[in-house]
Amino acid sequence: MRVSIALPTGALLPGALKLLSRAGVMRLSAAELGRRLLVERSGVRVILVRPADVPAYVDYGAADLGIGGKDVLWESNGAHYELVDLHFGPCRLVLAVPEESEIGGPETWPPLLRVATKLPRTTASWFEARGQAVEVVLLHGSVELAPQVGLVDGIVDLTATGRTLRENKLRVAATLGSSTARLIGNQASLKTRTDAVQALVGRLRDGANDAG
Amino acid sequence: MTPQLGGVPGFRDLLPEEAEVLRAAQESLLEEMRRWGYRHVITPMVESIDVLELGLNADQRRRLFKFIDARGEVVALVGERTIPVARLVAGKLRSAALPLRLCYAGAVLSADEGRFHQRRETYQVGAELVGASGAAADAEVIALAARCLEAAGLRRYQVDVGHAEFFQGIMDAVRLPAVVKAGVRSALAARDFVALEELLERTPLRSAEHELLLRFPALRGGSEILAAAGGLVRNRRSEKALSELARVQELLVAHGLGGVVGLDLGAIRDFDYYTGIIFEGYGPDLGRPVAQGGRYDRLLSRFGRPAPATGFATLRLFGMRAVVDTEARRDRDARTWWRAVGAENLIQCRGASKVAWTARGGRTRTLPPEQVAARLAGAHV
Repeated sequence: MRVSIALPTGALLPGALKLLSRAGVMRLSAAELGRRLLVERSGVRVILVRPADVPAYVDYGAADLGIGGKDVLWESNGAHYELVDLHFGPCRLVLAVPEESEIGGPETWPPLLRVATKLPRTTASWFEARGQAVEVVLLHGSVELAPQVGLVDGIVDLTATGRTLRENKLRVAATLGSSTARLIGNQASLKTRTDAVQALVGRLRDGANDAG
Repeated sequence: MTPQLGGVPGFRDLLPEEAEVLRAAQESLLEEMRRWGYRHVITPMVESIDVLELGLNADQRRRLFKFIDARGEVVALVGERTIPVARLVAGKLRSAALPLRLCYAGAVLSADEGRFHQRRETYQVGAELVGASGAAADAEVIALAARCLEAAGLRRYQVDVGHAEFFQGIMDAVRLPAVVKAGVRSALAARDFVALEELLERTPLRSAEHELLLRFPALRGGSEILAAAGGLVRNRRSEKALSELARVQELLVAHGLGGVVGLDLGAIRDFDYYTGIIFEGYGPDLGRPVAQGGRYDRLLSRFGRPAPATGFATLRLFGMRAVVDTEARRDRDARTWWRAVGAENLIQCRGASKVAWTARGGRTRTLPPEQVAARLAGAHV
């Protein structure tokens, strides 16, 4: 019985392909997958989608499984099962402010904090949970630029090494969460095709643990 | 300004074809329920918030469409229809003898998810059996749900049966600080098994119950899983749940449903009101359940008429119809295909993916259609 898995384009793709190979599922190059978008071999179908689309493919059952960053899952709030921490692609979601800014810990936040982000849902709910009024400005790219031109007090963004932040003269004021790649599964696939899907989950879990 | 001709985002018009599909689905489901002795009731679209709050958790309350009527009372559009039926049974039907078998069909609304035009209005058909406890009543409602899926036209489906008390028993028995237990509950509610694993790994205690929690998503199978789980739990609540599950499964086999019923000890349900046997129906190629239900023995007492009860609702009426149509089309295609192959080789269509092929004088083999086609092509060259 065929099992399908959605992989994200971008930073997590090499790690995801390495995992598929280490788990003995499929050896596949990023170039080949990038060209064909859909590859099917020995009962496993791999599809390549944008990172933010992985939960949608899995939630609607178009893919049985998916690999995506925890940051994407925070934002999606979907109906999938989060099954395995795959450990690769670690990064932190941080509040970053200009180096010269007076903003630091929660006691220094202004009554209304204005932040730019690509992750509006996560940002809003994190500040809400801490009783901080926040105005979220949704941007789709180059978020680092926004505080430098006075659009916002700070940004909420993902950082792996902190280099982009330093290059843009930003410093970390708070950490909202940390993220790694996760394996997610469709609810109905896990129930109706348990054996085939769980077998693949097991192989990927072992593969992830071997590496870690 | 032009009026919003497409309607409010998340709501949509049903054109004649769709309206007919919906009406046919509702009628065939209600007809099946009627044959089982369930009487049709119609409760209003609008309920007082005080009534709905008796059965909903905070998250579900947040998702209700709420407004204030002319008398200053907060009312809401129904998000599910079990609570209104419970109100009816405890109210107008107060003097009706139990058990009562009732069914309903109607729209349910959610204030959530409309931002990207996801559906905020969906249609459910459901049945409630109020005033009957015990395995026979549980099995009756599950069997009815299964027959309803058949009445909707699904030929392939499965029903997963679990028990709300199995998990509660484990949570009682497992020795964890209250804050960790709360974390475990919310991780399971969010279906986040990574968070669950992290929480449990940080606790020094190890027990069979820990292992069960960690294996939660994979705790499904046939009756063998009851024995396996029975060997791991050491608490009365979970043990009782397992024995009730065993009894219900026996009865479902007697109902002729042994082939479609599976046991799922890791079932997680969004509604807090479930107290016993719970179940979910799945169809092919549908990423979400098509039926959901279970026992809710404490809901009626909140309305002042304590009574055991169980019921279910069928969801995704359009999704089911799409599956039925696809399967019918596949069948039609398969039949057309084997008719075209000719009479020299005996070919019998067994569903869309399997064909029994008997070459002249040879033995019969069951193969996927493409393979038969390839072999035939080879034979003729």
